[in-house]
Amino acid sequence: MASVIEGNEENGFSGESGAVRIQERLQKRHQARIEDAERRKEAKESHSVAEEKSEYFSSTFNRERACIEELLSSCSGAERAVVTEKLEEATTKTLQLQKFLNDSMQFLTQYELRQAQAALQKLQTSLSETKEEALPRKKFAFRTRTKAADKASAQDAHPPPRDEGTPLETSRTQVDGAAPAEQCGFSNMTSEFITKTAEEIQKRDVLLTHLTNCKVRLFGSPSTLHLKHIDGCEILCGPVSSSVFVDNCRNSVLAFPCQQLRTHNTTDTQVYLHVTSRAIIEDCRAVSFAPFTWSYPTLEEDFTVSGLDRARNNWTEVDDFNWLAAGIPSPNWTVIPEADRKANWDS
Amino acid sequence: MGLLTILKKMKQKEREMRLLMLGLDNAGKTTILKKFNGEDVSTISPTLGFNIKTLEHKGFKLNIWDVGGQKSLRSYWRNYFESTDGLVWVVDSADRLRLEDCRQELSALLLEERLAGATLLVFANKQDLPGALSKEAIREALALDNIKSHHWCIIGCSAVTGENLLAGVDWLLDDIAARIFTAD
Ligand SMILES: Nc1nc2c(ncn2[C@@H]2O[C@H](COP(=O)(O)OP(=O)(O)OP(=O)(O)O)[C@@H](O)[C@H]2O)c(=O)[nH]1
Ligand SMILES: [Mg+2]
Repeated sequence: MASVIEGNEENGFSGESGAVRIQERLQKRHQARIEDAERRKEAKESHSVAEEKSEYFSSTFNRERACIEELLSSCSGAERAVVTEKLEEATTKTLQLQKFLNDSMQFLTQYELRQAQAALQKLQTSLSETKEEALPRKKFAFRTRTKAADKASAQDAHPPPRDEGTPLETSRTQVDGAAPAEQCGFSNMTSEFITKTAEEIQKRDVLLTHLTNCKVRLFGSPSTLHLKHIDGCEILCGPVSSSVFVDNCRNSVLAFPCQQLRTHNTTDTQVYLHVTSRAIIEDCRAVSFAPFTWSYPTLEEDFTVSGLDRARNNWTEVDDFNWLAAGIPSPNWTVIPEADRKANWDS
Repeated sequence: MGLLTILKKMKQKEREMRLLMLGLDNAGKTTILKKFNGEDVSTISPTLGFNIKTLEHKGFKLNIWDVGGQKSLRSYWRNYFESTDGLVWVVDSADRLRLEDCRQELSALLLEERLAGATLLVFANKQDLPGALSKEAIREALALDNIKSHHWCIIGCSAVTGENLLAGVDWLLDDIAARIFTAD
């Protein structure tokens, strides 16, 4: 029976081909053993790399922590000016430590992570305690609001799940009543020149979507600005009091002052920026930055309306959320060389 | 240490609550946290990692965790779930284009085992913007009425004016306290 003969051959008991097979099999076993050993060695090495990394992490983390603790304890009894300076340094260092922890998350164990988080939390607490002690400030802002807020307290509180489906609609909060849903902006335009005046956009949330080859001038100070699906456009805007949110933008030139810039899925775009806190990019490529230089007659007034600090422009500090490697600059954004910057906005 | 001191210490520990603040990027989480604490909100940057704030309120010690909401950070959210008493979900009420994203992220969170016991407070933030949706509209868009697994509440607020922040936190604390400090 064919199957039996086959079986024998498989076991290597018959004929010449059987002997060859045994050899082959031995060879294979040997090979497998070598590979296995290799794998184990590799695993061990990568394990020790991980160990090394986490060792580096904990020694750096502890050193920094000790340094901050020392700063804090040296505050007691010191002069006010000195304390202010020390506290500032401690705050900065704590922030850096937070960032370091975040960057290190990938290779830390849950245990290490939690330990570090707990340590950081303790630092934050003693930082604010030291601050409170050395530089007591006025009562928290929200305490003074207590009365008004208490009145509005939890009116939409939802009862436990068993009461689902009978929502309480007793009274609407003031903010809701005052908010007729109206949006400001435009969408789906090609090859147009669009302007908006201060009266149209002042203190409003402005949304521009699906614009192609358009030139846009927004004179005035909106509360916030969203740009989505922008291609080949030049969009200039007055001071935005909070954040500018950009998504899916390409081959464009943007210019505005703002508090935060949040850029996503954007490529080949220039941003002439005044930003008082930070600009960030995520999933972006070939985005380049230069300081904001556009000007128009009421720019100064609009700056005042926006509340933005004219003297603080952090346009060179761009955080790339896809590039958290410390020390190596992100390849996804650049500074526009001075010679290549746009000087004339009227053309 | 005397027994009384130990008891007092334990008691203090008991009155601690851990709140986790999440939401899409740009929702206003950090601004809410800082406003709440009476700090300057004009210098806030998009959060690269997380912020922790410890503050006393109504006799409770609140540990508030504010974690960055950028897409690239959302996979880290789970590192913060453990022993959360209250989840604060912050929504930019004027960001209509991302409401569906917002709904999906929230509903995924509510399936998390480690958040199963937590009370949910939804802040419909940025109500000061003329284009903001009302909290009723947000409630519908996020399908909050389908939530059977958690105690929840939605409150319209503004981190810029401070409106209703306290009301929201008070509701949250009351709900949590009723659940975990029943002997008090
Ligand atoms: N008009 C208005 N703007 C707000 C409000 N709350 C926050 N903002 C603005 O919205 C932007 C984003 O706020 P953040 O607090 O940084 O948002 P976040 O949720 O912490 O964002 P990530 O850290 O990226 O997760 C900032 O420019 C704030 O000034 C609000 O109630 N009204
Ligand atoms: Mg934040």
